[in-house]
Amino acid sequence: MLLYQALIAPFSDFEFMRRALAGIVALSLGGAPIGVFLMLRRMSLVGDAMAHAILPGAAIGFLLSGLNLFAMTFGGLIAGFAVAILAGVVSRVTELKEDASLAAFYLVSLALGVTIVSMKGTNIDLLHVLFGNILAMDDQTLLVIAFNATLTLFVLAVIYRPLVIECVDPLFLRTVSRAGAPAHLAFMALVVINLVNGFHALGTLLAVGLMILPAGIAKFWARDITGMMLVAVGSAMLSGYFGLVLSFFTRVPSGPAIILIAALIYIVSLLFGRAGGVVRKVFTGRHLEA
Amino acid sequence: MFRIAIVIISLLVGAGAVRADDRIGVVASFSILGDFVRNVGGDRVAVTTLVGPTGDVHVYTPSPRDAKRVADARLVVVNGLGLEGWLPRLVQSSGGKATIVTATKGVKTRKLGSEADPHGWQSVTNAKVYVSNIRDALVAADPAGAAAYRANADAYLDKLDALDREVRDAAAKIPAAARKVISSHDAFGYFADSYDIAFIAPQGVSTESEVSARDVARIITQIRASKIPAVFLENISDPRLIQRIAAETGARIGGTLYSDSLTAENGDAPTYIDMVRHNIRTLTSALAN
Amino acid sequence: MAAQLQFNDLTLGYDRHPAVHHLSGEIAAGALLAVVGPNGAGKSTLFRGIVGILKPLAGSIGRGGVDIRDIAYLPQSADIDRSFPISVFDFVGTGLWRTSGSFGGVGKAARPKIANALAAVGLSGFENRNIGTLSGGQTQRMLFARVLLQDARVIVLDEPFNAVDARTTADLVTLIGRWHDEGRTVIAALHDMELVRSSFPETLLLARTAVAWGRTDEVLTTANQAEARRMCEAFDDGAAACTAAASPARAA
Repeated sequence: MLLYQALIAPFSDFEFMRRALAGIVALSLGGAPIGVFLMLRRMSLVGDAMAHAILPGAAIGFLLSGLNLFAMTFGGLIAGFAVAILAGVVSRVTELKEDASLAAFYLVSLALGVTIVSMKGTNIDLLHVLFGNILAMDDQTLLVIAFNATLTLFVLAVIYRPLVIECVDPLFLRTVSRAGAPAHLAFMALVVINLVNGFHALGTLLAVGLMILPAGIAKFWARDITGMMLVAVGSAMLSGYFGLVLSFFTRVPSGPAIILIAALIYIVSLLFGRAGGVVRKVFTGRHLEA
Repeated sequence: MFRIAIVIISLLVGAGAVRADDRIGVVASFSILGDFVRNVGGDRVAVTTLVGPTGDVHVYTPSPRDAKRVADARLVVVNGLGLEGWLPRLVQSSGGKATIVTATKGVKTRKLGSEADPHGWQSVTNAKVYVSNIRDALVAADPAGAAAYRANADAYLDKLDALDREVRDAAAKIPAAARKVISSHDAFGYFADSYDIAFIAPQGVSTESEVSARDVARIITQIRASKIPAVFLENISDPRLIQRIAAETGARIGGTLYSDSLTAENGDAPTYIDMVRHNIRTLTSALAN
Repeated sequence: MAAQLQFNDLTLGYDRHPAVHHLSGEIAAGALLAVVGPNGAGKSTLFRGIVGILKPLAGSIGRGGVDIRDIAYLPQSADIDRSFPISVFDFVGTGLWRTSGSFGGVGKAARPKIANALAAVGLSGFENRNIGTLSGGQTQRMLFARVLLQDARVIVLDEPFNAVDARTTADLVTLIGRWHDEGRTVIAALHDMELVRSSFPETLLLARTAVAWGRTDEVLTTANQAEARRMCEAFDDGAAACTAAASPARAA
C-alpha cells in the first residue's frame, strides 16, 4: 500500500532511519520543553550564541587530545557552562539584563576560541568537526542524548515551580525564597547540556531548531505552560518524523528537511492556531452573550 | 677599459653563484602542489605552502601572514578548477606582483555533478601535466635555472611513470567484481577513471555539503546489491557517517585514504608519491580478500 | 508592646544618594501603620529595605526574629510578566510558597484556600483566566489575594489601592482591619489622607527622615505636612559625604 511505502517502509528497511528517529524522539523530549522556557524568557537566540561560545572549550580539548570528539565535547560543555553561569551571575548582581550579559560573554568566548585555534596553527573548522549528523547515530551518541532527555525531564520536574515564578514574578520569588538563583542556574545548565550534546549528535541546525520552532508552534495552540510543553514535544517529534521521510525521498539534506517541516507546521499554526492564530483573529465570529 | 673589465668580472661572478636570497620565492596553495614545486625547483626555489597537512583546501580561510607570503612571492602555484575559491581575493588584496600558475592547464578534466572535478592530481597521468606546467612556469620566471629545472622535472617524471605502472599493476590484481569502494569524499574521480576502480561517495565534492537520507539509503542499497567489500574514511570529513554505513551493510572499514593533502613528515603520506602508494596499498589490502 | 521592626539610624538609597536618611525608631508588633509623604519621600525605598531587597547604605533594620521570607510584600508596581501563560488561580496559589515549599505542588487541601482568597478580593470566576487578561485594578486585587494566602506575620503594602475602585477599596480595607485584629503587623504606604485618618491608628510622615511619627491625628497636622512638602525631591549631584550623627529616637 502506498502509504505504508511512504511512511513506514523507510524505517523498517533501514536501521539508520530507525536510529535517526530514536534520536529525534530523545531530542524532542529533552529540548522542546527547554525551548518553551527559553521562548518565555525571551532567550530564543541563546542557541546560536551558545554554538559559538563553546569554541574555546572545544579548542582546548583539541589542543590537549587532538581530534578526539569526546574531549572536544567535554571542553565545549565546560566553556558553555562557564559562559552561561557568568552571564547569569552578572545579570543578577548588576543592572545588566540577561541577554546583554550573555552576548558579552559569548563574544569574549568566541574570540578566545579563535585565538586558541590559530595559536595551534591549523585551520580546521573545529566546530564543523564537532557537529554531528542525525543520519550517523552510533550507539554512544544515542545513549548520550537519551541520557540527556532523561536528565532534562527529571531536573525540569524538580525546578519547575521556582522556574515558572522566576519567569513571571522574579521579585516575589526573591522575597519568599532562596530557590530563584539555583533554579535559574540549573536551567541554564540544562540549556548548555542540551545544546552541546545536541550539536555533537545532530549539528547546530537541528539542535537549536528543534528547541525553538516547536516552542513557537506551541504558543499558538496552548494557553498554559504544561499544554505548551506537550504541544512542543509533539510537534518536534512530528517534524522529525516527516522531515526524515522527506529527506528519504528527495535530495533535501536531513537536518534542513526536518526544520522545513517544522517551519511548515509553524506557518500553519501561525495562521490557524487556536490561541492567537491570525485567521482566527480576523474571522472571530459573532461575539458572546456575556 | 679597466672599468668595463670590473663590470664584466662582477657580472660573471654574480651569475655563477646562487646565494640563498637569490632563490625564487614560490607559494603553493596546498601541500601536494608544494611537493611538486620542490621536486622540480630543487634548491633554486624557496617554497611555502598555504594549506598545510590536515588543513582543508576547499574551505580554507587565509591569514594576514598568508597575504604577506603571496605578496612577496614570484610565483603562486594554484590548482584551479574551482578548488581554491578563497584564493583570487587573497591574491588581489595582497597586491603582489606574482605570476599565477594554474597547474591544471591542459589537464583532461572530468565532470563532478554540474561542475568540473578539481582533484586532477589523483591520476598520475594528470600529475605529470601538473609537473610540466610547473617546470615551464619556473623556466619562464627564472631562465637562468632552465637546465636545472628541466633535469629535475625529467627525473621526477620518470619516477611518476614508475609510480603509474606500479598502481596499474596493483589495481589489475584486484578481481573485477571487487573493484568498488565507498569513500566519504568525492575526490577520487580521476583515480577511479585512470585505474578502473569505482569510488562511490555519500557526500558531494566539498566538505560543506550535507547528505540527505535518500543518498544514504541509496549507498546502503548499492553496497548490499553490488556486494561492495570496503568502506574508506577520509581524513577530513565526518567518520561517524562512514561507520554507520559500514555497520549497516557489513562492509569493511578499510583505513584512511588521503585525497586533498599530504600528511606531516612522520605520517603515512609526506610526499605525493608516498600518498599514491599508500592509497593503492590500502585499497588492495581491503579489496583483495 | 514588643517591637516588631526596628530602624537603627537607617539610611537607604541609590548610588550613594540617600532616599531614607538617618531614620531611627520602632514599629510595635501588631501595629497598623500608615506611611505617608510626598513623592520621592522614600516610602517605597523604606519598604524595599524592610523586605530585604535593598541593602542599607548605613545603619540597620531589626526584624524581631521574623525571617525576611515571612514578610509579605505588595510592591507599588509589580514587575510581573503579564504575557506569561499562567492562570490567575496558579499565580495566586504561589502565595502558599512557604507551606508547600519550592518543589511541592498545590495539593487538594490548598484549592479551597485559594478559592477563598480570590473570593475575598472579589475575583471569583477569574480562576482560569490568564493573568494578562486582567485590568490594572483586577491585577492589583490578584496580588492582594496572594498576600492573603501568604499568611504572614508582617505585611508591607506599597500604595495597595492605586488602581482600585471605591467599593473594592472598602472591601480591602476591611481585610486589612481583619489582619490587624489577628495581631499581624501591617504597614501601608498611602496617598489618600481620608483613608489614613479613618482606618489607620498610627502614621509615619516621611520626607527622607521622620517628620512626625505617632498617632494619626497628631501626625497629620497642617504644620507637619507643610514641613514635609519642603523636602527637596531631587538628589543633589554635588553633595558631599554625610557626616551627621544619628538623629534622636522618636518620642513614642
